[in-house]
Amino acid sequence: MLITRRKLLELAPLAAAERLARAGNPKSAAIAKRVVLVTIGGIRRQESFSKEGAIYIPHFVNDLAPQGLFYPLTINEGVTSHFNTISSILTGVWQHVDDWGSQKPANPTLFHYFQKQHHVDAGQTWVVTSNKQLTANISPGVNVVLSKQLMIEAVERIINGQTERRRLERDQILQEMTAVLETDYERIGWGVPSTSTFQDPEVKQTFLAALANFIHGPDAPTSGDDLTFLIAREVLDRIAPALLMVNFSDMEVAHSGSYSLHLGGIRRADALCHRLWQFIDSKPELKATTTLVIMNEFGRDPDGSSTNGFFNHRTDTECCRMAWSVVLGAAVKQPDIIERVIRQVDMAPSIASWMGLETGKLAGAVLPEFHG
Amino acid sequence: MAEPSAGDLIARLPRTFGPSFNDQLAQWNLLFPAEQRRLRAQVDWLAQLPPAAFKHLFEPIVALESKMDLPRWDPSAKGMSVTDVGILARSPLYPQWRTEVAKVFATIDEGVGSAGALPPMRRLLMCVLPAGLPPSKEPWWPSLAKGGAWVDLDRPFGRAFPALVASVVKRKRPAGVEDIESTWIFESDARFTDAPKPPGETVVSWKALEQVRREFLNRLNAVRRDLHSVDQTNVDLKRLDIGKWMPEALAAQPRVREFIRGVMLSGNGSLVFPSSFVQWGASEAMRRAEPQAMIACFGIRQRLKPFSSSVLFEDQRRSNPTADADDPAGSLVDALMLAEYVRLTASRIAAYGARTLTIMTGEDLSRMLVLGVPAPKSKLDEAALRAFVMGHIESEG
Repeated sequence: MLITRRKLLELAPLAAAERLARAGNPKSAAIAKRVVLVTIGGIRRQESFSKEGAIYIPHFVNDLAPQGLFYPLTINEGVTSHFNTISSILTGVWQHVDDWGSQKPANPTLFHYFQKQHHVDAGQTWVVTSNKQLTANISPGVNVVLSKQLMIEAVERIINGQTERRRLERDQILQEMTAVLETDYERIGWGVPSTSTFQDPEVKQTFLAALANFIHGPDAPTSGDDLTFLIAREVLDRIAPALLMVNFSDMEVAHSGSYSLHLGGIRRADALCHRLWQFIDSKPELKATTTLVIMNEFGRDPDGSSTNGFFNHRTDTECCRMAWSVVLGAAVKQPDIIERVIRQVDMAPSIASWMGLETGKLAGAVLPEFHG
Repeated sequence: MAEPSAGDLIARLPRTFGPSFNDQLAQWNLLFPAEQRRLRAQVDWLAQLPPAAFKHLFEPIVALESKMDLPRWDPSAKGMSVTDVGILARSPLYPQWRTEVAKVFATIDEGVGSAGALPPMRRLLMCVLPAGLPPSKEPWWPSLAKGGAWVDLDRPFGRAFPALVASVVKRKRPAGVEDIESTWIFESDARFTDAPKPPGETVVSWKALEQVRREFLNRLNAVRRDLHSVDQTNVDLKRLDIGKWMPEALAAQPRVREFIRGVMLSGNGSLVFPSSFVQWGASEAMRRAEPQAMIACFGIRQRLKPFSSSVLFEDQRRSNPTADADDPAGSLVDALMLAEYVRLTASRIAAYGARTLTIMTGEDLSRMLVLGVPAPKSKLDEAALRAFVMGHIESEG
């Protein structure tokens, strides 16, 4: 059952709806508006914004949606694969390119518009992703960090005896990830427009701090999305780019048929999105300037479908195509639940419009609520 | 059954149909009897269709194909590569193409009618969750239970299960049912694999196939991040001599051996988690072999280990200091859903549409959910349970 405005309010008494103070001194005077765009893998309505699914996303229901713009009906009309969906969200045009990320999107992305029109370099545009299909091709010229792939590479090197480190113990993994970071980041698919980026002490320290937090953090995090979150948070904290895209994908373990682990991935994405918002909210320079947009890429296939239900996301069904979005922060004048159907490609022109970017005519349309 | 003569039929089919049709015909001897009967009936029906009707049937698909910017596929190709499927699936017209394909097959199935099927018969589906699961606060299968009834047993189901299976396997079969379409058992462990097997029992065990799975995983772990590498690995895995790593009873049956290869190649967790293997294997076996009795025994998976689990296809025991441990709570959540999926699959297959007794239960459970037939009103002891099941499956009509 779909969560309506009334249901959501029943589930989550609207917290003090005072909008966030917009005052404050931005870290960089050049950046008046920032966007953090989080895409999450496939999550069905029945495991999220529905009466039976709300238990898996307590932070979205209680903490995030009530203080932002909540679009419960955000449709994916394109190819319901990861690369094409994220490309469509970033370009505002439905993309039909190779699902494995071997091709660039056929249209410019938000990163491209921002770099061109603000005459800035790659330092202002970052992608931190768990999903390895989101290759550097997602937007050439952007810093693309495949965080989970870094961990996978380190683990594989230890398991396969390709390093002097022999055990999957925390300190050895930290050492191995650091070594991969120093020497092999291009081989594992990271896109760094200039090799000098990694020579920058601040950038280097960003990664080392994130890895140290991952290995020695108080909650003993171990998942790819945990690492993605920690790297994204460090990027936000130390570099504070104008555009940061983050991708969580732990729930994609569904492809292997473990429903319990799929639900665990959904719960983790819920918690990490909340922590990301809390972090932004706790930093005056970010709080004043940043809009956080959170979108699941699609649902998944219906139970009983010939495509094996929650395992996959291939059907032309509402269960698979109907996603949701939450917008928080600077672009939100007042919290609202928008009950009309919007399209995922509407988000790029809306973000662009809010940031003052000219995109020309896109398939998507500007969402009137998205302003500031 | 002799291979049907397709004549010039394939050349007349839409270009997206040719490769899979060729593939089916090329592997005729590896198809199960149910598939052979169905394919023959389809070929016969299409071959006798007047040219105008044939053109009319496929016209919408041909029209879509002309707009889909598809590569020039060789009409004699056998099957599609991952690259080819990707090109098709990302076409803007792919949803329409799928819709039209579904319509075409609905028309063919309607035309074929019962020509490709055995006479209707009573069937049995049992989905059994393993012993050792934690108690659940929530009722099991609440959605399915609305269409059936819980029946109390005088003891945990697991205690009556082996003898019940033995009776099912030895039952009197309807005329025309071959050994390979009699009884299939999918199991996480190797309880039924290790037991003596009478004719008509096909047992596929996750545990007994460990070496095959490991060989597949090793090769999949080495796939590079490009489509050519994926396609090449698929080709290699299709050629791999897997018979030497599986129980002799399976290796000796080429159709079953190739079925297992197909299950493992088609993903869906069949290489990674035991209950995923049972669910996907049982679903595919019902779709393809249509056994009269299907028994799916789910299992308990291990708790995923930190870090190793990020590489899902990796052997978690390698280099990891964390001790092995079962995950009964997670396994319960998994198996409840996957057992329901097996039942949902059966409900989509015409052969199981009616007259199928479905039993959903757990080895530690002293009750079972009965679907598809009227359930007994009273508590059953072991003999009454056996009489109920055998009374259903051995009856005619």
